[in-house]
Amino acid sequence: MSDKTFEMDLERQFAATPILPDSDTFALRVTARLDRGWTFRQLLIGGLGLIGGLIGAGQVLGSGLLSRLETISAQSDTLVKSGIASLPAARGLTTLLSVGSGMDSQVLWMSAGLGALAVGLFVTRAIREL
Amino acid sequence: MAPSAQTLASAHDLDLVALAVTGGREAFGELVRRHGSAVRGLLRRMGADPTLADDLAQDAFLAAFEQIADFRGEGTFQAWVKRIAARLYVKRWRRDARLDLMAEPPEPDAAPGGGESGAADRLDLDEALRTLGPSERVCVSLCYGGGLSHVEAALALNAPLGTVKSHVKRGLDKLRARMAPRRPLEDPESAHV
Repeated sequence: MSDKTFEMDLERQFAATPILPDSDTFALRVTARLDRGWTFRQLLIGGLGLIGGLIGAGQVLGSGLLSRLETISAQSDTLVKSGIASLPAARGLTTLLSVGSGMDSQVLWMSAGLGALAVGLFVTRAIREL
Repeated sequence: MAPSAQTLASAHDLDLVALAVTGGREAFGELVRRHGSAVRGLLRRMGADPTLADDLAQDAFLAAFEQIADFRGEGTFQAWVKRIAARLYVKRWRRDARLDLMAEPPEPDAAPGGGESGAADRLDLDEALRTLGPSERVCVSLCYGGGLSHVEAALALNAPLGTVKSHVKRGLDKLRARMAPRRPLEDPESAHV
């Protein structure tokens, strides 16, 4: 047998591996480890996100940003209303807006909260897809 | 929607790889089912005991899943994972300092069944590999089972190219001597059968 023929025969024999009887069990073990790793990664990312969010929220609250935003919001609310009130055709609209003058800032914060929630959901979904 | 098990079972390897790239763990599971035995078999032929071979094969498949986007389909998926597994085995062996490639190769063992008077005309590859020294066995398996070139094997083993080549040459000579069919002149009776 020539060297080349022997080497080809050797490669063929190396390639011809019999199917081991527990091949399905082996595959299940690998996919289980894959799933465990995936779950761990999701929990890790979620946990780190939560911690980061809490730290960020603490920083925001501590810096007095919320009260400043509230002031700005109230000022802009007053400005908008006075602007609309100066328009004779929009007097009805002013009445409509002034119904919940105390509620305006709450609505604003609720909207902002829902927006943040939506961003959070989007990010989570994006991480899952990656 | 995730493809059914039946769809996956009939899909081509490259299609399964494409699904795995997008995070399809079921598709990757099908690849493991198809090629797990081959990877485990290679590791056993390299000299790993069955438990270590299974552990390393699992690690190789997990590493393959992590790097699946790097698989370009230039060779087969099985060959790609085999290379990963072979490198992992070498890494483990080097870590455990069990492989001294510079050591003198041991004297050839007697063939199973007893040398010249051996009954088998042709030894099985697995039996023949067992008669090689550890370094020869790893080098031959890396190059002929793992698909690495001599240069790649030398890099994986962190050994001089000449050393790897000589281990491969010696290993091949021994395998050829043990696996070659007996010449008819040595056994006149079998020549007439």
